[in-house]
Amino acid sequence: MAHEASRAGMIRNVVVIVALWEIIGRLGLVAGGALPAPSGILLQLWADRADYPQHVLATVSGSGLGFLIGNVVAVLAGLIFVLMPATLRLLRGVNIAIFALPPIAIAPILNLTLSGMAPRVTLAALGVYFVTMSATVIGLSQYDTRSGDVVRAYGGGNWMVMRLVRLRGAVPDVLSGLRIAAPNAVLGAILAEFGGGGRWGLGSYLLGSLGRGDPFRLWGIGLVATVIAGLSYAVFAIISERVLGTTRSVTLNTAIPAPASALSPIGRLALACGAVLLPFVAWWAFVTFTGVPDMIAKTPLGVIDYLFVGDQSAIARQKLIAALAETLPVAFVGMVCGLGFAFLLAVLAQMSPAVIRAVMPIALFTQTMPLVALTPLLVLLVGRGYAVTMWITISVTFFPAFVLLVQGISRVPQSVLDLPRAYGATAWTEMRKVSIPAALPYLFAATRLTVPRALLGVMIAEWLATGTGLGNLLNQSRGYLDYGMIWTVASVSVLLSVAIYYAVLEVERATLKRLGMQMVE
Amino acid sequence: MGALPSRFLQPITNRSARAAARGEGISLTGVSKTYRGRGTEVEALRDLNLDCPEGSFTALIGPSGCGKSTALRISLGLESHDGGTVRVAGKTPAEATRSGLTGVAFQDAALLPWRSVRKNIALPLEVLRRDPRAHEEQIAGLIRLVGLDGYENALPGELSGGMRQRVAIARSLITAPQVLFLDEPFGALDQIRRRSMNVELQRIWLETGSTALLVTHGIDEAVFLADRVVVMHANPGRVVAVIDVPFERPRTPDLFSMPEFHRLADHIAEVLHGT
Repeated sequence: MAHEASRAGMIRNVVVIVALWEIIGRLGLVAGGALPAPSGILLQLWADRADYPQHVLATVSGSGLGFLIGNVVAVLAGLIFVLMPATLRLLRGVNIAIFALPPIAIAPILNLTLSGMAPRVTLAALGVYFVTMSATVIGLSQYDTRSGDVVRAYGGGNWMVMRLVRLRGAVPDVLSGLRIAAPNAVLGAILAEFGGGGRWGLGSYLLGSLGRGDPFRLWGIGLVATVIAGLSYAVFAIISERVLGTTRSVTLNTAIPAPASALSPIGRLALACGAVLLPFVAWWAFVTFTGVPDMIAKTPLGVIDYLFVGDQSAIARQKLIAALAETLPVAFVGMVCGLGFAFLLAVLAQMSPAVIRAVMPIALFTQTMPLVALTPLLVLLVGRGYAVTMWITISVTFFPAFVLLVQGISRVPQSVLDLPRAYGATAWTEMRKVSIPAALPYLFAATRLTVPRALLGVMIAEWLATGTGLGNLLNQSRGYLDYGMIWTVASVSVLLSVAIYYAVLEVERATLKRLGMQMVE
Repeated sequence: MGALPSRFLQPITNRSARAAARGEGISLTGVSKTYRGRGTEVEALRDLNLDCPEGSFTALIGPSGCGKSTALRISLGLESHDGGTVRVAGKTPAEATRSGLTGVAFQDAALLPWRSVRKNIALPLEVLRRDPRAHEEQIAGLIRLVGLDGYENALPGELSGGMRQRVAIARSLITAPQVLFLDEPFGALDQIRRRSMNVELQRIWLETGSTALLVTHGIDEAVFLADRVVVMHANPGRVVAVIDVPFERPRTPDLFSMPEFHRLADHIAEVLHGT
């Protein structure tokens, strides 16, 4: 009954919001008509109905194929990493580089080196790989060691434990990974279309419509892109809801996690060197095998040459440093705000589930809305100032952190929650004593997840709206055909993400070690 | 009872004597184990000798951290040991577990939350690569044996703690083990439930005739179930006494209130506390 009542409440909220939106739009109250009425947007959608099917088809097929390829690779990779932890260490550099690639910096490069559907499929696949891979590793690592003991006590080996206990136990984590990954794939495909200049695809359509600045059409494209991303999210959310109930362990495992397998210092050093070098080897191989001329495709040495040796290197360095000084502070503040907001909301959501039902639709709406489509709309609404960058950065970091935290908190078994409740603990005490500590590994994982997204959000805002910082430098360089700078910005933004990622990782390691908790990879 | 092999029906003392001569059952000889952490060393077991003749019921009792669970885990091959030899049914732990000679129930039922009662009981069969469908009857029989008729398709989340523990007991018996390891299987249950489970366990064990090693905190439980109680002390973990329990089988709940029972329990408590 309560559930039905809250569902009715949710529908009522949505109706109220849409009605308000309609009135505001009709009267042109916001930013001189930049927020059009829903009815007007729908009418424009109907007028453009002949254009949409092929654009939508192009985006959906590109992102769908990328989603499929990226996730198959990601799940297999996660499985291999867990079965052979040395491979995880060896490929850590590649994984983090893929994770930290800001799609916006990579889109121009992919469009320079690949052709046809390949750039959007690649960008969609890159967008989903890390999320699904790490979700798979988390799920497979955090299995119930007691069930593992039962299997081993009958002579079962690692593979048997994997097959009977860990694979099924990881399903909710993988599904929540897919849930976050799905909108990423759509965003990746649209970004590639946006920078690619192909004929079909929502990104191309958006690019073509930007010049005319018609709010009705921009909102229409944004809504269609959001619906595609939202539907892909919803599918996995529903599946995950069905599965989670039978996967939660009834009691909490108190076993202390086993220490990582001992490795000789030389072995460790070799793995560390391999981990650092492999991303550069991969970069080199990519440039070599695509067979793009040196002028356009820069190898790692080419970038060093451009930045430190060539004639223009001093100017290039100066431009880069000025851009970084604009981008980094905004990214940092936005990230802290986004994380804090996510944490606050996750805590509230646990204490009163009504909050989660009220906030989730709004969060989903703004988050599944692909950033490229969202940014022009935000510019229409709040102008081209500092505010638009902050809004985008907060919103882009908030969503993945929130989902991860809610999941971490919801995995606390019932019996553990019952204990403080039995002592008459209030919901807040229960939260403080049980849920927050249990969610701590997830908070750290969320922080690491947020770093590159904050950078991405700032760069997209800078490219499309404010005309400052790294994003603007990238856009300008595209205009000037300054290939060296395009590759430089891409590699610097990746290196920065990796550096911050490792800083968070060190804090995390120290904290969790002190608390005797297992790290979420 | 008619379906059981005749060796299960022989008097226990006979069986024990015969098995001891063959050296089957469980035998740990001079076993030592040291945990090395960051800068600290904990000597969990020092020169541990433990002999459980075939068909006997041995209870291993001692304070927390005396290494009794470690001894059990070593016997199952779940942990390595630094010195000494371990034989389970005449084989190494790895051989014995892999050939399905052992059964085990831990303090926590450790059921897979997504599997029904029936499928949880079938888990050891799958690990041993046997066909669970060929054992449908045994599974149904064990569910009856532990009194869970009607819960065949329930999920662990739908059962009470006692019921989950009985599923774990049924699971430990599905391979018809020669050697049964029980690591505080009733540790999480209340005294009344625990006593009735003790009576049930004795009945089940008498029917199977396996060699049983029970790790426990409870003196009552040890005296009621075991042929011999092995008392351990901590720092380092070692055996300090082996005390025979002379009561006739099958033992009934009346035993819990008999003066002989309490005399023996008091004696064990004294040894346990080292007074």
